Amino acid sequence: MPATVQTRDPRWVGQGIPRVDAEDKVRGRAQYVDDLLVPNGWHGHVVRAPVPHGLLRGLTPDPAFDWSRVVVVTAKDIPGPNCIVSHDRSMPVIASDEFLYAGEPVALIAAPTLRLAREAAEHLRIDFEERPAILTLHEVADQFKHNDPALVKLCGQTIRKGDAEAALARAHKVVEAEYTAGHQEQLYIEPQGLVAEPTGDGGVFIYGSMQCPYFIVHELCEALALPPEKIRVKQAAVGGAFGGKEEFPTWLAGYVALLALKAKRPVKIVYDRHQDILYTTKRHPVWSRYRTGLNRDGTIAAIAVDFLLDGGAYLTLSDVVMYRGILHAAMGYRCDHVFVNGLVARTNTVPSGAFRGFGAPQAIWGLESHVDAMAAAAGMTPHEFRLKNCLVQGDTTPTGQVLKWSVGSPAVLEKSLERCRFDEQWKKCSRGKPGAKSWYGIGVSFFAHGAAFTGDGEARIKARAAMDLDWLAPGRPGGIVRVSSTEMGQGALTVLSQLAADGLGLDLSRVSCPFPDTALVPNSGPTVASRTTMVVGSCVYGAAGKLKKALEQFAGKPIASGKEFDEIASAYLNKHGRLRVEHLFVLPPGTQWDQKTFRGDSYPGYSWGCNVAEVEVDPRTLGIRVKKITAFYDIGKVVNPVLAKGQIEGGLVQALGYSVMEKIGIDRKGRFDASRMQTYIIPTMQDIPEMDLDFVEFPFDHAPPGAKGVGELPMDGLAPAIANAIEAATGLRMRDLPITPEKLYEHSQKNLGR
Amino acid sequence: MRTVEDIEIRFPGSLAEALAWQADEKTRGRPLAGGTDLMVQWESGVAAIPERAVSLWGLKELKGIRETPRGIEIGAMTTHTELRSSPLVREKLPALAAAAATVGGRQIQNRGTIAGNVANASPAGDLAPTLLITDGLATAASASGRRDIPLAKLFTGYRKLDVRADELLVSFTLPALPAGAREKFHKIGTRAAQAISKVMGACRVRVQNGTIVSLAVSLGSVAPVPVRLPELEQWIAGRRVDLNLLEEVERRASAEVHPIDDIRSTATYRKWVSGRLVRALLEA
Ligand SMILES: Cc1cc2nc3c(=O)[nH]c(=O)nc-3n(C[C@H](O)[C@H](O)[C@H](O)COP(=O)(O)OP(=O)(O)OC[C@H]3O[C@@H](n4cnc5c(N)ncnc54)[C@H](O)[C@@H]3O)c2cc1C
Repeated sequence: MPATVQTRDPRWVGQGIPRVDAEDKVRGRAQYVDDLLVPNGWHGHVVRAPVPHGLLRGLTPDPAFDWSRVVVVTAKDIPGPNCIVSHDRSMPVIASDEFLYAGEPVALIAAPTLRLAREAAEHLRIDFEERPAILTLHEVADQFKHNDPALVKLCGQTIRKGDAEAALARAHKVVEAEYTAGHQEQLYIEPQGLVAEPTGDGGVFIYGSMQCPYFIVHELCEALALPPEKIRVKQAAVGGAFGGKEEFPTWLAGYVALLALKAKRPVKIVYDRHQDILYTTKRHPVWSRYRTGLNRDGTIAAIAVDFLLDGGAYLTLSDVVMYRGILHAAMGYRCDHVFVNGLVARTNTVPSGAFRGFGAPQAIWGLESHVDAMAAAAGMTPHEFRLKNCLVQGDTTPTGQVLKWSVGSPAVLEKSLERCRFDEQWKKCSRGKPGAKSWYGIGVSFFAHGAAFTGDGEARIKARAAMDLDWLAPGRPGGIVRVSSTEMGQGALTVLSQLAADGLGLDLSRVSCPFPDTALVPNSGPTVASRTTMVVGSCVYGAAGKLKKALEQFAGKPIASGKEFDEIASAYLNKHGRLRVEHLFVLPPGTQWDQKTFRGDSYPGYSWGCNVAEVEVDPRTLGIRVKKITAFYDIGKVVNPVLAKGQIEGGLVQALGYSVMEKIGIDRKGRFDASRMQTYIIPTMQDIPEMDLDFVEFPFDHAPPGAKGVGELPMDGLAPAIANAIEAATGLRMRDLPITPEKLYEHSQKNLGR
Repeated sequence: MRTVEDIEIRFPGSLAEALAWQADEKTRGRPLAGGTDLMVQWESGVAAIPERAVSLWGLKELKGIRETPRGIEIGAMTTHTELRSSPLVREKLPALAAAAATVGGRQIQNRGTIAGNVANASPAGDLAPTLLITDGLATAASASGRRDIPLAKLFTGYRKLDVRADELLVSFTLPALPAGAREKFHKIGTRAAQAISKVMGACRVRVQNGTIVSLAVSLGSVAPVPVRLPELEQWIAGRRVDLNLLEEVERRASAEVHPIDDIRSTATYRKWVSGRLVRALLEA
């Protein structure tokens, strides 16, 4: 444990205080990128590939159009190598000789008005030769199942524990099934938008809507041929992100930066909703196949999983999404023989990307559906089977990690089952009883979610937070939190302020937490992976503690009150000027991880959750209504219970959409079909069920004050809980998300035909 | 490249002025009611951007709900909010009031009008089935006079109406629910609110001593236009309502429609659920 942090009675941690940014947002003062006045600014527009796969022969400008009024950028204008430096260098900023998805940029245009930019685009002919395309998960899953060499594998990884095949051969019973889920759109309220301005020194200043300011710096510096310090990135107010503003803003930053540098003036692009749905990243579609073995006594003998993600056209960060997926695909249950085979396949669609849960929801969807199938095969109820087999403290995960601390299992499971009287309700399930006016069902899911980065991620990124002692206002000294973590609506600024105030032992009014600007903040890593409160928050807490110590040393006495702080801090600032202290995150002692074999401690800690869904299905229409969700979570120390519950409520609604509504396919032109809010169906207030939510706290002692992740957790387990409840209600086992009345009907007809 | 901002929107002072403009191609504009369909269609490129639009929203001649010997007369610019809250409509045209209450959300109901819903001529327009079951009529006006169009003949094809370019819909006249009859509307949407219909329908039925005297039933979203089910209606007259009958109704209603796959649902589900829906409409 970091030695500099003293234990004290926390004042702000644990309190459900209102958001520090609430007033600005409620009063409409918060400035989102499209609210900002951009003097001299032009509008950017992206010219896109018309078909999903083709060879680009050239771009022919219409001579009748007056091109002097606009600025056009093609791949030839890129000063450095034409690539975005993500997890590989395969994706170009602008396609140059081949394009791999419908809508991939082939040129960029800036003009004084958006209308003129769009008009110019209509006068630019794209000459191309169309090539064959693979468009859907089903095509790649078929290729995989038939060992078809045409399958384009973007990456692969396995996890091995014991010998799963041998254990399957010996098992008393083997249970096999396949599970699939389609794309999911993040549908943040504010669409993507950025502005780039050339700076005097040949560099560029990029600001707007984003999750990870330093990603833009590091992923673009090669293409722009600029040293990192000449790419300054600042976050504006962000209206939701959910992972959708993790890697995508780098692409958009590439478009606006190239246009701004060539046009020598600021350029802005803000997508409308239709463009945003068509041309930005979505959750990876998944196909998984479970083969599991059971022992006579109802314990699990073996788990073998094939886990295939549709990565879209380029790798981007799909490898790590798949890693998180395979690490959760057999997690949560005691089993000595596990084999997980993960891979990401290419389709000619927009690259799939980050979305709340980052592969874990796709894995848990299959796993927790399959656990019900195993329970049935073992002749047990779903809850008995889970209570019997769930991991507890001291058990070993599929990667061989021993769960030594902060294990909220079986607590979350037991408490949820008890709260909703699962045992009683289970007996009331309709199972498709003929003649009933309504079918009732209850279903459960249980899961862990790895907190912070996967494997050696935290060790490699070396997240730091800084606290500046500075003037908050004339005559008012205080601590300024300097981190690259972003507020996107989840409450990060509030939680970080609470942690900073407690680290300093001061009132919240002596702390400020501004939006990050890469010119001013150290790299505390991206705002992803449910790591902000746990990892960055703990660094802020540590840095604040150090700052207080430094002041006490300066004064030669302890600081016991706000008034004393004001005096001492003012004296310090008058004498020495601003003071910055930093704190680094360290993994728990003894952490070991082998990135090649995927053996060892895959995460520093785990959050735990249990969801119970109660559903009603209308036998007349097969309409599905989720009536109630009961859930317990262990997210370690709860820093702000109101915000934590808000995260869970909102996340469960998003998961509800994933489970029973959000259907988006690929049309014949290779584009997303539900590309407007008219056709992309998310839950409304009227669809939201009653929720009974609660926490059990198993603090994570290696990152004071002990928080673990919460952000992604609510997305993880609802879909399988609902599928399990639907089976209990109707007798129909649904294995493809979203579960719609149409699919229930089709499935019921197939069953009748048998 | 023309956009919504390029449209010249004109505000007539009276219906007569609007009709005079519509009579001449050089002054004619796209009729604009609440704009809840048009604004969306213009913005998304589904509808062509016209030179001009003529706003009918403020025309007093097109407002109001009154009882006449021919039936309830509803002005073209009556909003969904007015329909759902009018005591007259609720009592005499309960299916229409129920349908209006399911359109979009409150904001849409405050702006969207009965004429816009009908003239948009979408098979998913929620009001049409409730109008069709009344055997009422629409009235169109032009500079040269008025014309009554039986509702059964109004919808001529996908997004097509029997209304000329120089005409405007001015009112709907809908025979009230006769004594001893009942009406119902039922909608199967994509979610609990703000839902466009997968299938929706309405029926007006008279039952005497357990026997069906007459039935009018209409479905939307199962064909290019909202439809009545004439075969079922003829077959059922004079039959006793019992479980066997309901099962046969379900089978026949399903057989009588030929829906398609689209983004909201599938042909097979729509066909099946049409039968279920008609059955549910008849179940008391
Ligand atoms: C968010 C949202 C949700 C919606 N939900 C539903 C729903 O649940 N159910 C549903 O049925 N609809 C729904 N709609 C569609 C729409 O709101 C309704 O169809 C509404 O009644 C249209 O009326 P309006 O007055 O806005 O028509 P407008 O958009 O003004 O016009 C529609 C069409 O009618 C023509 N027109 C209008 N008045 C006349 C006239 N007097 N004579 C001749 N032609 C005329 C116009 O030229 C245009 O072609 C929804 C729309 C939105 C945006």
